[in-house]
Amino acid sequence: MTRPQPAPAHREKELHAQTTSRTSVEPARAGTSVDGGAVVCAEHLTKRFGEVLAVDDLSFALERGTVTGFLGPNGAGKTTTLRMLLHLVHPTEGRALVLGGRYEELRRPAERVGAVLEAADFHPGRPGRDHLFALALALGGARGGEGSFRGRERAARTRVDSVLELVELTGAAHRRVGSYSLGMRQRLGLAGALLGDPELLILDEPANGLDPEGVRWLRDFLRGFAGEGKTVFVSSHVLAEVAQTVDQVLIINKGRLVTFSSLAELTARLTGGVRVRAPGIDRLQAALEAEGIRSTLLDGAELLVDAAPSARVGEIAFRAGVPLHELVPQSSTLEDAFLELTAEDAS
Amino acid sequence: MIDQLLSELRKMRSTRTNLGLLAGMVGLTLLAVLINGFVLGAAELARHDDQHTLLSAGTSGALFASLIGVMAITSEFRHGTIRSTFLVTPDRTRVIAAKVIASLLMGILFGIVAIGLSLGLGYAILRIRGIDFALDTGHVVLLVLGTLLMTALWAALGVGVGAVVTNQVFAVIGVIVWAFFVENLLRALEPDVGRFTPVAASDSLTAGFADYLLAPALGGLVLAAYAVVFLAAGAALVARRDVT
Repeated sequence: MTRPQPAPAHREKELHAQTTSRTSVEPARAGTSVDGGAVVCAEHLTKRFGEVLAVDDLSFALERGTVTGFLGPNGAGKTTTLRMLLHLVHPTEGRALVLGGRYEELRRPAERVGAVLEAADFHPGRPGRDHLFALALALGGARGGEGSFRGRERAARTRVDSVLELVELTGAAHRRVGSYSLGMRQRLGLAGALLGDPELLILDEPANGLDPEGVRWLRDFLRGFAGEGKTVFVSSHVLAEVAQTVDQVLIINKGRLVTFSSLAELTARLTGGVRVRAPGIDRLQAALEAEGIRSTLLDGAELLVDAAPSARVGEIAFRAGVPLHELVPQSSTLEDAFLELTAEDAS
Repeated sequence: MIDQLLSELRKMRSTRTNLGLLAGMVGLTLLAVLINGFVLGAAELARHDDQHTLLSAGTSGALFASLIGVMAITSEFRHGTIRSTFLVTPDRTRVIAAKVIASLLMGILFGIVAIGLSLGLGYAILRIRGIDFALDTGHVVLLVLGTLLMTALWAALGVGVGAVVTNQVFAVIGVIVWAFFVENLLRALEPDVGRFTPVAASDSLTAGFADYLLAPALGGLVLAAYAVVFLAAGAALVARRDVT
């Protein structure tokens, strides 16, 4: 088993900085994962459920230390992709790799990869603490608890206590999960993912159904986690939920890759149109046309300019000698951009 | 493997499922012993066969043991905990193996309670009513060991059935319908085939050379074979399954 040594903290930071400054990421860089390369990697990943093609020739690679938002509308294939990475769903074609290998071939995979897949994956009649305890026992007692039953129990207890504290559930741990709020369940799921102190965290729609406080708690947590140079791959169907946490986005629709770029690039690329009100609007339209910028006449005095920074529209108007009465960047939020991107494919 | 086994035992201890099964088994065994012990006449109870029926009420533990096994795996699929279980232990066969051993142990525990209850209470009733004990030592030993083997094997078979079916409701109903209807029908209509059915094979473990049943050792082997077949099929199916 090749288990790459965890990089020292300063190196992690360096990698983190590098990757966040990248403008685009090339997909499918096989076999580069051993030395701090791809932490998550899909190679021509395809999954067919009967007639339904859930994931269609998907390739991408995520670098160590990145926080990646995995976005797409419901049914885009996000969940299936994540489960293929974790050996829960078997690919029809292609490969899904984490930390340079297949999940099931990693030694003690849960000590390297933590995952929260569903908010409701608990036995309602089992206390939260026991849920974690059973997982911790199966995980084994690497830390000082080899051998005896008592040692294993002790090692498991240490792990459980520390993650309970981390997710602030210590007080409720003895209660049966059935009595937990959704937010508490999400945190219990996260605690389970953190039992092995992983270097990669995979979360499927973790903000689903959380109240604003819960969303903020989660965001802060993920930032802290990523701040240690660890990698996060988090899916969502609502960009706004993760926009403040991630530094790059991987967008899929209908099982296919739509875009993979840094958040900044996405924002820049998809800046919405600019609405302009000016006398002599026809002249402005012609001037814009000359610069290769398309626009639509809204009514006699208004023009909707296609994707272009408002500064540039202003400059063109100035040179054309058109006084502007109004220059309003259309508030195309990231969400609009996201919807636009995923709708393109849907047509 | 020890890690997985400890994990499975922890799971079993931390819900009320097995406590409920234990309560059901104790209740049913008590009821059977009390009814047989006080409703049957003294002359009947003095007979070997009726006394055997009284003292072997604990074999009802087999049904509950099978449900331990069924629940051990189907409740994980039902509540989705199977996902985190497989994340920690991606080798699914190992997970099933741990469930088998944990269920075996729990099954034997159930068996001890069941046979202890029916033998102890049955014997007490015989003493109270002044009826002589008609079973020889060999038969009592067979009754005890047979019950323990029976509950252990049924627990393992339950895991196998659960792994094949995975749907909790279907699995539980399937086991009960099979044990109480299908098999009785088969045994009544085709005794030669019926002897080889799981419950008949299981009965032979404690009955001791009844001519309508297999010999105890053969019965044990047949029951074990059922468990092995279901477990092999279940492990293969679970390994191939997409856990969505």
